[in-house]
Amino acid sequence: MSDVYEITIWARGVVQDMEGRHMTLIMASSADKDGKFVQAWDDYADLPDRVGVPLRKYVRISDEEIEMRYEYENKNPSLVVIMDDTIVKGLNILWGMDKGGVLVVNSKRSPDEILKFIPNKDLLSKIICVDAEEEFSMEGLDFMGSEGGVEVSAVGAGISAVLAGAACHGTDNLTIDSLVAVSANKEGAKAGYESAVVKDL
Amino acid sequence: MSKKYCEKFNIPKHLQVPLGAVLPANKKENKGMITGNWRTVRPVIDHEACTLCLNCFLFCPDATWHLDEKEEKMVWNADYCKGCLICENECPVDCISAVNELEFKGGVVRLEKPF
Repeated sequence: MSDVYEITIWARGVVQDMEGRHMTLIMASSADKDGKFVQAWDDYADLPDRVGVPLRKYVRISDEEIEMRYEYENKNPSLVVIMDDTIVKGLNILWGMDKGGVLVVNSKRSPDEILKFIPNKDLLSKIICVDAEEEFSMEGLDFMGSEGGVEVSAVGAGISAVLAGAACHGTDNLTIDSLVAVSANKEGAKAGYESAVVKDL
Repeated sequence: MSKKYCEKFNIPKHLQVPLGAVLPANKKENKGMITGNWRTVRPVIDHEACTLCLNCFLFCPDATWHLDEKEEKMVWNADYCKGCLICENECPVDCISAVNELEFKGGVVRLEKPF
């Protein structure tokens, strides 16, 4: 099972719930477009979500068929995405990660400032910071609608595309071309890929 | 509860308490339900401008503010504050301000898992 690439996404409850779910969906469907086997889902343990509570969302990408159907948590993530930079203070976000993982943070701060708050940073091989709110303003978007389930054209309309675009620097399993093709916010995905601050450790 | 009521319904002796009784809570802080990591901004108090009106203590939904009577100043509990900023809204002299959590080195509530 070691060839299954696991992605964990941390988001803030309610306010980023939909964007976090959209990020799992666009990551999974872009890898699906590249001919890989994928899974994407929310963690039931964190629900019912409340405003501000840290939530987990998961993606799995593999070249072979994924047989981990009944395991509902990513025990060994290789890529971790933080949708709000203050989560690094509240939790052991690199939980279960092997040496050589990648961290993507939505922050206007520099990678060095974020690394100060991560005690087990020796696990990381790369950190990517992107200011998603700067690249794509969420003002004017509401959280009403169809929960992203049926409204395929609106999946990845917000900051999720920006962060997923930045995450393409961290892994070969995600490609920016297919990510732009599946997300609704195509300019945001490109802007996230171009404006990401990548630091190798 | 009246004596007549207790006799009628066979209420055991240890449950016969007067109406409106106030019992002490068995725990002051519940370490199993730390909610400090829900916070993105934290309230910062300016002790010189504070008039000790206790509005923050009254309105806080998580009882994170209390009055230190010796030092005569309000004390804030980082472990349970969710950063809802009701205290900032209710403060009559505007001595509470909201500051991003990453501006501070301290106040780290690092849990292994969310719950």
